Amino acid sequence: MTIQVERLSKKFRIDQVLNSLSFKLEAGEKMSIVGPSGSGKTTLLRILAGLEIPDQGTILLEEKDVTRLSARQRNIGLVFQQPLLFPHMTVAENIAYGAHMNGKKTESTVKDLLAAINLTEAAAQFPAELSGGQQQRVALARALAIEPEILLLDEPFSSLDPNLRQDMRYWVRDLLDKRGITSIFVTHDREEAMLMGDKIGVFHEGTFQQFATAEEIKLNPRNPFIVEFFDHHMLLNDQQFVHIQDIQFSEPSGPCITYEAELLQTTFRFSERVAHLYVKEFDEKITLPTPDDGLSKHIELYIPKDAVQHFQSDGKCNDEQ
Amino acid sequence: MKRNHLPFYLTAGLLFIAPTLLLLVQSFTAPWRFQRGEGLQFQLNSWSLLFSDPNLWSATIWSLVIGAMVLLINLFIGLTSGKALALYSFRGRTIVESLLLAPILIPVLAVAMGLHLFMIRVGLADTWVGVVLIHLVPTVPYSIKIFHHAYSEVGRPLMEQSQMLGASVIKQFLTIEMPLLRTSIRSVTFLTIVISLSQYAITAIIGGGQVITLPMIFFPFLDTANASVMAAFSVWFAILPLVMYIVVEGLLQLLPYSRKPWRIQT
Amino acid sequence: MRLFRNNPWLLLLPALLFLILPSYGLATAILESLRGTDGFTGEHYETLFASDRFTASFLFSIRTAFIATVLSLVAGVLLTRTFSGYLEKNIPRLSVWLPMVFPHLVWGYIIILLFAETGLFSQLLVSLGWIGSTNEFPIWTRDSNGIGIILTYIWKEIPFVILMLFPVYSAIPRSYYDLVETLGGSRWDQFKTVELPRILPVLLEIFLIIFAFTLTAYEVPALLGTTFPEMISVLSYQWFYSGSFEDRPLAFAAMTGTSFLIMLGALAAYLYLNRKRMRAMRGRL
Repeated sequence: MTIQVERLSKKFRIDQVLNSLSFKLEAGEKMSIVGPSGSGKTTLLRILAGLEIPDQGTILLEEKDVTRLSARQRNIGLVFQQPLLFPHMTVAENIAYGAHMNGKKTESTVKDLLAAINLTEAAAQFPAELSGGQQQRVALARALAIEPEILLLDEPFSSLDPNLRQDMRYWVRDLLDKRGITSIFVTHDREEAMLMGDKIGVFHEGTFQQFATAEEIKLNPRNPFIVEFFDHHMLLNDQQFVHIQDIQFSEPSGPCITYEAELLQTTFRFSERVAHLYVKEFDEKITLPTPDDGLSKHIELYIPKDAVQHFQSDGKCNDEQ
Repeated sequence: MKRNHLPFYLTAGLLFIAPTLLLLVQSFTAPWRFQRGEGLQFQLNSWSLLFSDPNLWSATIWSLVIGAMVLLINLFIGLTSGKALALYSFRGRTIVESLLLAPILIPVLAVAMGLHLFMIRVGLADTWVGVVLIHLVPTVPYSIKIFHHAYSEVGRPLMEQSQMLGASVIKQFLTIEMPLLRTSIRSVTFLTIVISLSQYAITAIIGGGQVITLPMIFFPFLDTANASVMAAFSVWFAILPLVMYIVVEGLLQLLPYSRKPWRIQT
Repeated sequence: MRLFRNNPWLLLLPALLFLILPSYGLATAILESLRGTDGFTGEHYETLFASDRFTASFLFSIRTAFIATVLSLVAGVLLTRTFSGYLEKNIPRLSVWLPMVFPHLVWGYIIILLFAETGLFSQLLVSLGWIGSTNEFPIWTRDSNGIGIILTYIWKEIPFVILMLFPVYSAIPRSYYDLVETLGGSRWDQFKTVELPRILPVLLEIFLIIFAFTLTAYEVPALLGTTFPEMISVLSYQWFYSGSFEDRPLAFAAMTGTSFLIMLGALAAYLYLNRKRMRAMRGRL
């Protein structure tokens, strides 16, 4: 099912949480929304889910306007940060709940979903008897049991420990692909956003600063905010930036710009040595891969003039519609 | 860590359990005369005397009817306003909350005296309906407090989850709210019935001596009956809340998702 | 349905309707206390304050209610903090709340059974030979010092105090006690810095509830009190029901005055707590 959002706005008192936000998602597409914490991503999801009413704008599901429909009339699944299982119901009852409310037959659905989340034996147990990861899996199964055409996920793994989180990401990704569910995944973790979405909406100040694939964001960041938010580049000024891999420690042939930097520490990332540097000019800390372990405390960074790039547009993200 | 449990059981035993036992034992034995060296003399006369009093039965039934009505209205007001106070933020919430709890502090005697003329005017004086209304004053604030707390514990997200899964308002109430508020419903049942059973003065004022509940016959009994009968009567007072509790518990069992309560508790 | 889900005022409607009862009752009581033969008058209050019977009753009521309230609070706090671990478990908790099943009237009768001149304790003391006859047992019920009333209230309110305090105590993380201990604090310091700030608002609330109740409840004093001095509730009730209609305004005046006193206390407590909260807020900013 396609989802199309047009000029969505929402204000809490003086806080413009959503500012004329628009985007479109094709059936079966997976999208991530990433942004700093407290930027209003959750409000966006709650509006899509029908738990909150926007001040302005429309939400179309497969051409149908659902903006004024309440949550229970929308057939959208929502998985919250916390599992929020009903403590007085067994695992099976929890999963069957939604289908039950809609008067659907549930037995085979519950069985399939229990198998899908690998918890067939836990069917008769109560949520309190499960681990955090198991609970979140049940929550997911419960959301899927109403056969939603769109699934919204609001940082569903953030309360899990890191190892489990990684497993769950792939598992959920597979499940969504298998069932062809259109999904929107909210997170504040850049890596998770790239893992869980074919497209990423970078959310800031009530709108998407850029809505594109991870590749596109790396190649063509749209504005300074994107550059600051991801660590693919170093921002030189309001118009210019440079890719991290183009920054060099030794003076290249040809024209270049030079910056003074202070070495803070060297660590390892993906078995590669990286230097953590403080660049005085921008009052900014950056991290660069370096083959050299004998860097001195004060170093110079060289950027070839032809590596400096300019932002493509005026910095606003409006050409996606 | 090893703990000595004796102090607790001694304290609880003496302070809280002994009085009940005292009443029970006295109700089944003749009035005590230990100072004359007499021991306990078992008897059932007190109970048969108590039960043979026709006033006792009609007072018991009226107490139950009034108590049940007071409870029903308490549940209705408590559940609705508790939900509003716990789950919504709106202007004037703190003021409304204080106003709703304030009747706990206002002397119910003053309220009853003040309402007496009004009750006469609208024809509710000397009727059980009037008594139910006046019994609401000392009970409803507690129910609101209890349900307010309970709804905050359940929290808004769980309700939204149920909403997301397509539950209607009524289904959500029956499948999520009621089962999760079970403990509070029990507390409210107990508290309401006991408070209603405690009211002599306001029942007398509004009921005008026409509505006879158990406290109304307590004082006349005190003048005529011996200690054993009074003890039996006192125990009888405690049985009513228990009866009401069992009825409510039975009704709660009819709710969906009500089985196996012992497994949920841990 | 949407209206129902999103409108808290609709949900509050039944409760607001209920509020009519106490407010109308109180308002009428105030009006009746001020009603003269023609127009409003303060004469009933003048009569009231000039009456020795009222003054004695008023002072006796304040004193009795205050003693009962403070003692049940102290006992309640001591019991809760000593035994809060037990209260987590079902059976011990139910045993503590057992007295709540009985109306105050019945609890008053238990006091009679135990402490009357021919009550259980008197009988036991005689049979042990500690006192010669039951006449030597002190008069603790229907006494002019209100001992029977105080005993009933303390005993009956302790479970209530525990019921209100227990959730607060069980919410205090153990680590706070350890923190005070590692900083070299004594047990008193632990109470003062860890417990008191948390329980103070609840303590004030309980104090007000119990004080307001014991000051104005009729049943227990009617059972265990004496004719002079009598509790304000008993006096008002008598005035309300006395044959002469001249006494009725006095009943209203006495009850109205008492209500105002309680409201004043509640206001003072509220302002005190608010000031404390404001100070705490300022500390955080």
